[in-house]
Amino acid sequence: MESIEEIQSRLQEVFRDIFDDQAIVLFREMTAKDIEDWDSLTHINLVVAVEKEFGLKFNLTEIKGLKNVGEMIDLLARRLSIK
Amino acid sequence: MNRYDLAQIAEGMKASFEVQLTQEMMAAFRSITGDENPLHCDKEYAKAAGYPNTVAYGMLTASFFSTLVGMYLPGEKALFQSADVSFLAPVFPGQILRVLGEVSYINQAYGQIEIKAQVLNEADEKVAKAKLKVGVRSETGTRA
Repeated sequence: MESIEEIQSRLQEVFRDIFDDQAIVLFREMTAKDIEDWDSLTHINLVVAVEKEFGLKFNLTEIKGLKNVGEMIDLLARRLSIK
Repeated sequence: MNRYDLAQIAEGMKASFEVQLTQEMMAAFRSITGDENPLHCDKEYAKAAGYPNTVAYGMLTASFFSTLVGMYLPGEKALFQSADVSFLAPVFPGQILRVLGEVSYINQAYGQIEIKAQVLNEADEKVAKAKLKVGVRSETGTRA
């Protein structure tokens, strides 16, 4: 089973790819306000990229409830442990 | 016009149609955009540049991706969100083009589909390709 650190590392690569910025470093409290190009359309691109990277599909309720990147990491950890 | 809901769309679903790119379309595009580049407007200029005829505007060829999305896949409920288009070979007025699209991914959370699309000429050569991202409106509006 993947550790939280491994999930965060993989997620960080997704962020770096979607925003085309190798300097991005994720932190738990990170939100859309922390990345300039994180708008509504790139948010959808990000969610799709996360689904493809981790091989799972989210429903709207799960995604809408996320307050920050830390909660996304926790969601991934829960979903991956159930797989 | 098709009227697919998200629930009716599956990965692998396809749509296609044919269209002839005409001089009238070239003139209308020129009028709308103001793109007077002689490669598109001046036959003698285009021939001197090594082409058999004036070259069709790339974005005119790409405009048929709007037809694909708005009329066929998904049709009426489409919200065209992004298009990553490449122009692979020149197109010339008079050619009959075949426009094809296949659903490559569905994001249920935000009601968005990804379509791999292409445009082929009469010789079945790929003249343009695109990755399209399209929202599919629900009864209560878009989730995006």
